[in-house]
Amino acid sequence: MKNTLLNLYEKDATKKVLASLISILIGLLVGVVVVVIVGLSKDTITAAGIWDGVRLIFFGILSKGRNAAGQLVWGYNAQSLGNMLFRATPLIMTGLSVAVAYKTGLFNIGAPGQYLMGTLASLMIALGIPSTNVPAGLIWILAFLGGCLAGALWGAIPGMLKAFLNINEVLACIMTNWLAANLVTWAFDVSNFKNVLENTKAGYIYKTSYNGVATPKLGLDKLFPNSQVNGGILIAVLIAIAVYILMTKTTMGYQLKACGSNRHAARYAGINDKRNIVLSMAIAGCLAGGGAALYWLSGNTEFYWSTYQSLPSIGFNGIPVALLAVSNPIGVIFTAIFMAMLDIVGQQLTGLTAYNEYITDVIISVIVYLSAFSLVIRMLITGKRRAGASNANAEPPRNDPKNTEEGGEQA
Amino acid sequence: MQSDYIIEMLNIRKEFPGIVANDDITLQLRRGEIHALLGENGAGKSTLMSVLFGLYQPEAGVIKKNGEVVQIHNPNDATALHIGMVHQHFKLVDVFSVLDNIILGAEDTKMGFLQRKTAREKVQTLSEKYKLAVDLDAKVEDITVGMQQRVEILKMLYRDNEILIFDEPTAVLTPQEIDELMEIMRSFAKEGKSILFITHKLNEIMAVADRCTVLRKGKCIGTVNIKDTNQQELSNMMVGRPVQLQVQKGPAHPGEVILDVQDLTVPSKTSKKNAVNHVSFQIRAGEIVCIAGIDGNGQTELVYGLTGLEKASSGHITLCGHDISHSSVRKRSEAGMSHIPEDRHKHGLVLDDTLENNLVLQSFEDPRFQHMGFIRRDAVRQYAEKIIDQYDVRSGQGPVTLTRSMSGGNQQKAIIGRELDRENPLLVAVQPTRGLDVGAIEYIHKQLVAQRDAGKAVLLVSLELDEVMNVSDRILVMYEGEIVGELDPKTTTVQELGLYMAGAKRSGKGENRQ
Repeated sequence: MKNTLLNLYEKDATKKVLASLISILIGLLVGVVVVVIVGLSKDTITAAGIWDGVRLIFFGILSKGRNAAGQLVWGYNAQSLGNMLFRATPLIMTGLSVAVAYKTGLFNIGAPGQYLMGTLASLMIALGIPSTNVPAGLIWILAFLGGCLAGALWGAIPGMLKAFLNINEVLACIMTNWLAANLVTWAFDVSNFKNVLENTKAGYIYKTSYNGVATPKLGLDKLFPNSQVNGGILIAVLIAIAVYILMTKTTMGYQLKACGSNRHAARYAGINDKRNIVLSMAIAGCLAGGGAALYWLSGNTEFYWSTYQSLPSIGFNGIPVALLAVSNPIGVIFTAIFMAMLDIVGQQLTGLTAYNEYITDVIISVIVYLSAFSLVIRMLITGKRRAGASNANAEPPRNDPKNTEEGGEQA
Repeated sequence: MQSDYIIEMLNIRKEFPGIVANDDITLQLRRGEIHALLGENGAGKSTLMSVLFGLYQPEAGVIKKNGEVVQIHNPNDATALHIGMVHQHFKLVDVFSVLDNIILGAEDTKMGFLQRKTAREKVQTLSEKYKLAVDLDAKVEDITVGMQQRVEILKMLYRDNEILIFDEPTAVLTPQEIDELMEIMRSFAKEGKSILFITHKLNEIMAVADRCTVLRKGKCIGTVNIKDTNQQELSNMMVGRPVQLQVQKGPAHPGEVILDVQDLTVPSKTSKKNAVNHVSFQIRAGEIVCIAGIDGNGQTELVYGLTGLEKASSGHITLCGHDISHSSVRKRSEAGMSHIPEDRHKHGLVLDDTLENNLVLQSFEDPRFQHMGFIRRDAVRQYAEKIIDQYDVRSGQGPVTLTRSMSGGNQQKAIIGRELDRENPLLVAVQPTRGLDVGAIEYIHKQLVAQRDAGKAVLLVSLELDEVMNVSDRILVMYEGEIVGELDPKTTTVQELGLYMAGAKRSGKGENRQ
């Protein structure tokens, strides 16, 4: 039994999962520290309030509000869980976007821009094609594919700059992000999709349900009553599985990874490295754009179109989602759900305690960014083993320290 | 009491989980001697040096300096004992000047200000005394590898080290620079400094060392006086069995022309000159043609131009009757070219991928290994097991081993297995034995000759004179991008070859073009 456990511990996959779990725990603990410090520094927050805050950080997803006596009530909260899955949907997609690019050796910080272009295309199609003439289901499909395509094109731009002109993809991505932000604002500004029916809603675009287009619920509304969840989460999970298969089982994934880990070796072997770099960024953009489509086509979300001064955080949050999942597409599903859970926790904190929305944002951000420390934690876990291993293998002709060192420098 | 030995490592034992890396090893370094430490990759040389530098604590054994037991807990302790080391991969800051690199870590300061002037004087004195010419104000990234090594040596001298360790110092040097280094090492020894020289090149040991300690599989095989031994004995001690230093091969029987290169020109990346300048040659089936020359005379670019990694600006390449002058890398490979690349880490392998994936790097799109774009994992695994078995590729976990964790020799065997198994009529092998130990070199040379005897055309690019003379059937010498001579290894001498390589001699244009 002990040996089985040890073997399990020695596995790389176990270490990855363990590292991510430890990072999450550290993130949550630091979040607790912030809660306590803020609580102590504000007169309006009592000791009981601090305790409530701490408990909500860990178990906010299971909070059912306060009872008549003013005490927190815990239990299965279908609404919170449903909303969590709803928010996880686009995060899975942007997380996959970053993960795929990362596997190919590229850092896709352009997910926000690709997400915005996906937003633009999917909303334009969903609101632009009258559902009186075309079946809403078909419009939904067209809008989803349009979002994917727009994201793919937007991702391909930095990809091409990288492949053909060797311009760093991070710089190109940042530029295309802001291009997208301004382009989208302009496009909606001159469109006639601005919500004028409800005069309290200045600056928003119509919900797609205004045109009768909405993601089918696929029965999830029965499972999680009163929540926003819809079939999008299932689509996102299926896409994650598809990406996993693409990356591990196909020749295309093999080529992408080969180019990513050693572009020179790929060229030596006759693999077209330029094509693969563009392809990787296009796939990444396609996923981010598709994530936007899944979010906005839900029928109950409204896009604030004047976005030229800000980029969507869902795009950036793809980065910690992918990091925490060590770029494993299946892992992304779970880390995205975790990030979405933090979102819900933040809402609970704001709604149920004297912590206001700004400080809860700070707390949640701290947790998110510390969670993304999983790489560091992994190094700590594997560090000891590596020092031993490089020499444990020193003897037989299979492995010697000098070579490990040589390899290390290549990295 | 002055001991005979300046440093003694007595009965050192160092274990790692499941393995004894150093088993009762004794190494005694005399004052003013050059002591070689010889052993194959993985024999425990690096571990022993790590113990000396305090990176590892031995389980048993003591280290003495001047007869007194010393405790070395970390590299700072080693530095305090005046032990210095030139690593195989230099530890220099590329964007710093030479002077700044030398004083880094041992800066002389006054009230927190760096005393560059006194440092400069000291370095200049040392540099003149030992004839270590360096440009103190040049940035390290701009100077040659040979000069970088002199910077590393000056670093040790600047710290007044008296025990100097050289880890495989000649791997990166030209034959001429090697001679200079040997001279410098001798002058240090004359000064009373003690030198530990880690290598697996036997001729260098014979040329410069006084004594030699041989390690094999973590055990100390013995210490011998160089005067009383020879290369064959040393290599037998190192490998543990008689090794053929001479390549055994019969006469070549060249057949039809496999590769025909006419007027090939490849532009240089760093200057306006052509790296390969109107080169023409032919290779026939059943012969090994060797491109000899000092590193940097266009051999790398010639291979890039041949294999398609870089575009040639003019010329024609014909392989087995197909014009491949403008073909892509893949087309050339499919036309019948195998390529053992110069840099196995850069080009040869995807180090972070598994051995089995690396073995199908070119052929993964073959219907054997994929169906409708899905990789046939079973077929790949079977194929990998076949290659591993056939070419004796040793690794920790077989087909799923990360290639990064394999030893250099086995990485190279994997590449050779992959390239030979594709059964192409032309094999381009670029420095196939670089950085490998005697046993692996012997193996690779045998494989090259076997290819030749099987009727393949082999183009060998090598910087090692021994290899050039022993393995090839015909030698083409490259100098400054041109082929300046064609020699027959049976009738020529190393000295004559050297003259061609240095550009002091060249045959007429007609011979060049054949």
